[in-house]
Amino acid sequence: MSGKGMCDSLPSGERQQRESLRLSRRQCLAGMAGLTATAMATPLRAQTPEALSFGLTPVFLTSNLALLERLQTYLEEMTDRPVRLVTRRTYQEITSLVVSGQVDAAWICGYPYVQYRDSLSLMAVPVWRGRPLYQSYLIADANRSGDDWRVIEGDIHAFSDPDSNSGYLVTAALLAEEGKIPDGFFRNSFYTYGHRNVVRAVASGLAQSGSVDGYVWEVMKEMEPELTGRTRILHASDWLGFPPIACARESAGARKTQLLQNALLGMEDSSSGRSVLEMLRLDGFTSARDGLFDSIARKVELVRRTA
Amino acid sequence: MKRALATIRAWPITVKIPLLVAVLMVVVSAVISERVLSRLGDTQSRHLQELGNAYLDGLSSSLMPAVLRNDVWEVYDTIDRARGRYRGLEPVDTIVTDPEGGVLAASDPRRFPTGSSLSEGYLGEFPASGELRADDGQKRAFLQRDLVYQDRRIGTAYATFNTQSLLAERREVFLTLLATNTVITFALALLGYLAISRMVRPLRILSEHLHQGAAGNVQPITDTQTAAGSETQHLFKAYNDMASAMREREALAHRLAEEKRLASLGRLASGMAHEINNPLGGLFNSLDTLKRHGDTPSVRNTSIDLLERGLVGIRDVVRAALVNYRTGGEARPLQPVDMEDLQVLIKPELTHRSLALTWSSDIDSELPVNAGAVRQILLNLLLNACAASPPGSVVALATRTSENALTLTIDDSGPGLPQEARRFLTSEDERQDTPPEAGARLGLWLVRRLGREIQAEFSVTESELGGTRISLKIPYSDREEQRHVA
Repeated sequence: MSGKGMCDSLPSGERQQRESLRLSRRQCLAGMAGLTATAMATPLRAQTPEALSFGLTPVFLTSNLALLERLQTYLEEMTDRPVRLVTRRTYQEITSLVVSGQVDAAWICGYPYVQYRDSLSLMAVPVWRGRPLYQSYLIADANRSGDDWRVIEGDIHAFSDPDSNSGYLVTAALLAEEGKIPDGFFRNSFYTYGHRNVVRAVASGLAQSGSVDGYVWEVMKEMEPELTGRTRILHASDWLGFPPIACARESAGARKTQLLQNALLGMEDSSSGRSVLEMLRLDGFTSARDGLFDSIARKVELVRRTA
Repeated sequence: MKRALATIRAWPITVKIPLLVAVLMVVVSAVISERVLSRLGDTQSRHLQELGNAYLDGLSSSLMPAVLRNDVWEVYDTIDRARGRYRGLEPVDTIVTDPEGGVLAASDPRRFPTGSSLSEGYLGEFPASGELRADDGQKRAFLQRDLVYQDRRIGTAYATFNTQSLLAERREVFLTLLATNTVITFALALLGYLAISRMVRPLRILSEHLHQGAAGNVQPITDTQTAAGSETQHLFKAYNDMASAMREREALAHRLAEEKRLASLGRLASGMAHEINNPLGGLFNSLDTLKRHGDTPSVRNTSIDLLERGLVGIRDVVRAALVNYRTGGEARPLQPVDMEDLQVLIKPELTHRSLALTWSSDIDSELPVNAGAVRQILLNLLLNACAASPPGSVVALATRTSENALTLTIDDSGPGLPQEARRFLTSEDERQDTPPEAGARLGLWLVRRLGREIQAEFSVTESELGGTRISLKIPYSDREEQRHVA
């Protein structure tokens, strides 16, 4: 179900390199998008309302085509415009699209949001079990003994995405508290680019442990109990800000952004919106306050320092 | 082995032919089944090789970028998603290793953990040639493929497939073949049995008639089912011709026997006439004496006495002849009086040839033997003995009774019975039962024939009288027969 972001905690040198890389890609993509818009937007606008584009991180919900269809239908109904859902393989790609304004809004993770806080503006935050909060889980094989999360030292570990808060940053921060970094702590680690894939990797034995979105794991427990049944929670993190919906700061007051924001915040008020929320197992969306992600920002800082 | 072959040879043809058909069918079925299963196995192997190649080829192209990046998850995800997408193929394990042989990812990471090395034994299962190797014992097939990128081997993909369904298919084909061939074999064997039974039916009929004929009941074959002009009909016709010839010969034999009996009767009749004639002169003299001197009591009594004795003698002769030649009489037990009759009957021949008869009989009661046959046999043997003995010599007859048989012995003083005649009398050969040519040894033939009827055993030895001794031992009839006879 939902994409969550993840943010900092990379070594500073590497991070800078990555940022410069992202910037150049962003600029490049923005340029390309601008050219495309110039070439195509004018005749389209004359006939139909301009389409809205909404980016989704490839964590949970992208695997459910029925959900995507229903979400698109709901947004189109509420905004009275065509809506294009944009999905990509990595968080990084979606983050780049939203930061560069290539999509009108995107459901990103708290980690990228913290990283690009200056360039992004919060539109809404999902409410799960009454709060806009979720946890990150460290999971292991169901038959694995031991309650101390430190037993995973020397494992092959499955991360979700290097830009995921729950699927990377929280574990990296946990290790950082112990003065360790993933590369030294784990024998080997890999990214599955999807929280569901982390559960699959641990359930199959490909990885002995994994870092996964707690919200995703709980929803999977309902929908795929056979898969989650082969794993168990070794450690649950503090409650953290739920992955938010954000837009480029420059388009925060734009008409299109407003339409999307209203649609999201009013989702629980219509039956089609409630059916989307039912599929997402969410209570609704709420206006976000920036301080919600401060704890994530602290983890980013901790990881950065340790590295 | 020889005994077994001999036993098989003794089996009826109606069993041997169907059995042969069954054995041939089993051999043919075995050969065909072996070929079919062999071809099926080849086809399955080829099919499996093609499917395996398609699987690994498809997988390789998807794996290549992930292997290049050492992306454990992508490799696993690719393998995991490919599972079950190839119809007719059941991959058990798929393993991808890096160029050093370390496992990158496997379909079953618990058995083949990432970073581990495959054992030599396991690697040995995969032919280096890239050919698929099927192991029926393990119910697995093994195939490996190098992942080559820009002429460099960047890894290897190993796949094992479950061949259980193929083996099951082969087993199913085998069972189908077995069942079909068994049904066909039994059907052909049954058909063979029915066909052969029908084909040998004429032979069986002929065999039954031949057996009946051997037992003395020669009957023509009256078969209406045989097709006209067939070999069987020719065979039956030949048999029927033979049967009618035999029946004619049998009738001839009966006629000859009758004639012989009548001939004996003729000889005896002349003797009897003589026997009757002899006292007739005395009787007429007595009558004449009575006519003339009947008044004298002493003469009358003497004459009447003479007449009575003469008539009694004639009566005895006539009675004996009547008993001996009474036709259509049933078999009855031998009585002492029968022996006395024989003495009367042979007496004219003795007198005619000037022979003496030594008679020794211990028969003092009824005996369970056929009286008619015994009388015929003895009369013929005595007549033969008389004919063989020189005038003035002795002919002897002795009887001896025991618990279960009557033994009769006839001695003569003749030159002895010819060897050929001895053999004829004592031979067990049934062919000797046919009547002799041109009436030769007709008397002996009649004796032999009657002797066989009453199961008498003949023996011919030298007699103390210088001639021949013929003995015959006649077993008593059983109680049932005795009662019937009585």
